[in-house]
Amino acid sequence: MSKKKKVTPEGIEVREKPLGLRIWNNRGHYLMFLPVFLFVLIICYWPMLGIRYSFMEYKAGPAAPTWTGLTHFQRMFSNTAFWDAFRNTLILSIVKLFLSTFASVVVSIFLNEMGSLFMKKSLQTIIYLPHFMSWAVVASIFTLILSPSSTGMLNGMLRDWGILGANDSNIHFLADEGLWRPIFYLINIWKETGWGTIIFLATLSGISPELYEAADIDGATRMQKMMYVTLPALSNTIITVLILNLAKVMNLFESVFVLYNPAVYSVSDVIGTYIYRQTFTVARPDYGYSTAVGLFRSLVGCILVLICNHASKKVRGRGIV
Amino acid sequence: MKRRILSVTTAVALTAALLMTACGGGSTGSSGSGDSGAGTTTAAGGASSGGSESSGGSGEYQLTNIKVIVDGTVNSVKQETEFQRTTRDAFIPQLEAAISERIGHDITIDFEVGDHSKYSEYVGRMFVSEQYPDVMIMSAAMMRQYQDTGLLWDMSEAYANAEFQNRIQLTGIAESMKDSQGRLYGFAPTYGNGCITYIKQAWLDNCGINGDDIKTYDDFYNMLKTFTQGDPDGNGVDGDTYGFISAGLIGTEAPWTNYMAEFWQDAYPNIVQGEDGVWYDGFQTDATKAALERLKQAYYVDKVIDPDSYTAGTKQAREKWWGAEQVGSAGVFSYWAGNWYNNLITNLGKNDLDDRVYELAPIEEIKNSWGGYLNREAPVWVIIDDGDGDDSREQAIFDAFLDTMLDGDKIQTLWTYGPEGVTWSTEAEEFVTNPDDPDKRKEYSYAEGEFHMRPDLADPNTIAGKNHLDPALVVSPLTNGYVSSNDNQDISNKFFTDNCVDAPASPTSPTYSERSAEIMDARDVAISSVVVQGGDVDAAMDTYKATVGTLVDQILEELNSAE
Repeated sequence: MSKKKKVTPEGIEVREKPLGLRIWNNRGHYLMFLPVFLFVLIICYWPMLGIRYSFMEYKAGPAAPTWTGLTHFQRMFSNTAFWDAFRNTLILSIVKLFLSTFASVVVSIFLNEMGSLFMKKSLQTIIYLPHFMSWAVVASIFTLILSPSSTGMLNGMLRDWGILGANDSNIHFLADEGLWRPIFYLINIWKETGWGTIIFLATLSGISPELYEAADIDGATRMQKMMYVTLPALSNTIITVLILNLAKVMNLFESVFVLYNPAVYSVSDVIGTYIYRQTFTVARPDYGYSTAVGLFRSLVGCILVLICNHASKKVRGRGIV
Repeated sequence: MKRRILSVTTAVALTAALLMTACGGGSTGSSGSGDSGAGTTTAAGGASSGGSESSGGSGEYQLTNIKVIVDGTVNSVKQETEFQRTTRDAFIPQLEAAISERIGHDITIDFEVGDHSKYSEYVGRMFVSEQYPDVMIMSAAMMRQYQDTGLLWDMSEAYANAEFQNRIQLTGIAESMKDSQGRLYGFAPTYGNGCITYIKQAWLDNCGINGDDIKTYDDFYNMLKTFTQGDPDGNGVDGDTYGFISAGLIGTEAPWTNYMAEFWQDAYPNIVQGEDGVWYDGFQTDATKAALERLKQAYYVDKVIDPDSYTAGTKQAREKWWGAEQVGSAGVFSYWAGNWYNNLITNLGKNDLDDRVYELAPIEEIKNSWGGYLNREAPVWVIIDDGDGDDSREQAIFDAFLDTMLDGDKIQTLWTYGPEGVTWSTEAEEFVTNPDDPDKRKEYSYAEGEFHMRPDLADPNTIAGKNHLDPALVVSPLTNGYVSSNDNQDISNKFFTDNCVDAPASPTSPTYSERSAEIMDARDVAISSVVVQGGDVDAAMDTYKATVGTLVDQILEELNSAE
């Protein structure tokens, strides 16, 4: 029996040792790797066996799950509510991502330009705070502010300013299909912009002061320095942040769940909320269907990650996975 | 060498820790200390909870432990606050002692409380993870979805032979719970209760309206307009109040219409069985179309309904109604009868508002269609069938837990009023509520042996309320003469029972139980498009039919072919 041979980087042909022997020779390393391997298997891969339920009827009760083939996927793809939710997920997530990133970049540059360190630190603290509020609290606050009743704060202000006349009805902001998405984006920007500036401010602090000094010598204005020094230095970070967040666009749930209602399902319902209603508002749900929708969502998320990886390789010369 | 020993030792330790964690996790999951209700019966598996011993044939089963899952309606087992934990710590031992004494051997009871507002979700999660209690509370609708699965024990025979049978005064409830073949899977110790339309008496007085004159929808609507356009709260400003507030335009569970009965009138926007026994979609009827037009007029056009009603939950609606700030509040609110009538009065008083509340009798349109306010299907206690073909364990659970619940004496008193010495007492006692407020100050004095409720632990200025069984709603009353003297509650319960009819039964169909969310979504969208956005009713109905018409037809086919 001939032994396998391999060529070393130096071009010398050597006989390859059997796998068992190689493992034995490196047993210390394999043993050290074992906990990680088991951890990954138990925590990451074992739960994935649940994917099989997307091909089964799986209801609460004593009956064991039964195979149903692609029934759940047929139901899902023939359901207009599912496609509405899929479309809304992509629109809301991607628009939110770009708006939030843009807002974070702008605020970061402004903060970076501030001369007073005290003001800068104070402002940073203030704009970070909303990030730490739960979505339930945020929704309660904005529901009160946007209330269509006579005690609603924003409607009252619009009336005081004369924008709403005596004969005009109060605006039902959260039940208006045309207004819901802009309000959703605004609330997200309010909540997350501050937190989003952290990574940009870190990058900004790493820009060499020599670049600004050189620009000063060349007679650049403050705006020109921002345009030709700061932004180019930030561009790589902006792209990285966008790419990393693009991979998470399918995970939208909580922010929508606390703000939406049936009047705006057509523009607000996302896959997460769709799965929630199909599963938890019926007396005896088929978890197989929920799993099928979840599997589809994961697949789309996976494809987005691969696209992002490809885009990252193109733009930055290296991938993210 | 040292490095190698260190790496090997570390790796072994980490691996061992990981494996122990994994095993430990599994162990925890099956021993049941989490909120999943573990450590319980394995339904259909033949095994029962650890605290049971079988000594042979039927009738000889000795039950030593019962695992119970309840929603938020058993007040004495809640444990969110210190006061609730104090009550629970007193209640469970008293209940165990009383039941042990009754059945002749010691028994322990483990109570687990599911999130009341997400109970259905909680139960579904528990069942899917195969964590089954011995006995639990379900809504009637939930019971109907599970009754054909083999999960629930048919208690027809046990119920018929129950000790409390000779004391039952309301036999119709159990009859209505039976399936088409006469099997009974749930025990309803009380009737369901329903909603009454309440009006602030002060607002009626300020507007010169006599509540007794409100007989028809037109009378009712004119009152709402007066409340909306006039100055019912007497603050000198017209038009800063609303006529009506509600928690949603439609309920989240059967009987769906009870928060806005005057507007829905004869409509029943769900799949329902007609008098001829044929199931049909009540949402696709002319009655529903007319109701949507009424709601549109009131909500979108005349704005006599507080617009917050569309998204408000029950807590928000209640607090807005009785809030200290009456600007933006409403005069009319439909809510539960009995205990909640007392709560409404109490909370108006707490906010220094006129606490007189008028109970509106059903208007003619409701009387002429349904006959009165809808009494929802009663919540039930069910027993999980272990599927071993031997009923002795289930019978033992029924005997120990459900049969004793209506013993008319000690155990029923605990279920009705909570733990003795904490929420009620028969010892001589004197106490004062609101001692610092001369207007509300009230002195209580009781002689030895006299039954009375004690001050509420959480709010010593109020008297403790009921535990689980409402004495006014229970099918078999107490025989020991222990009666709580809450006049408001009694008045409201009597008013409701005099003016109610049973709500239609919930549908039982495999497709409905699995896919009703799609129908509810389409229904809610249709209602919103008409009432909130002022859209056309026929267009909304067309969209509804196009979205779920086929699904509804399939469900109707299942229901009607099963009859």
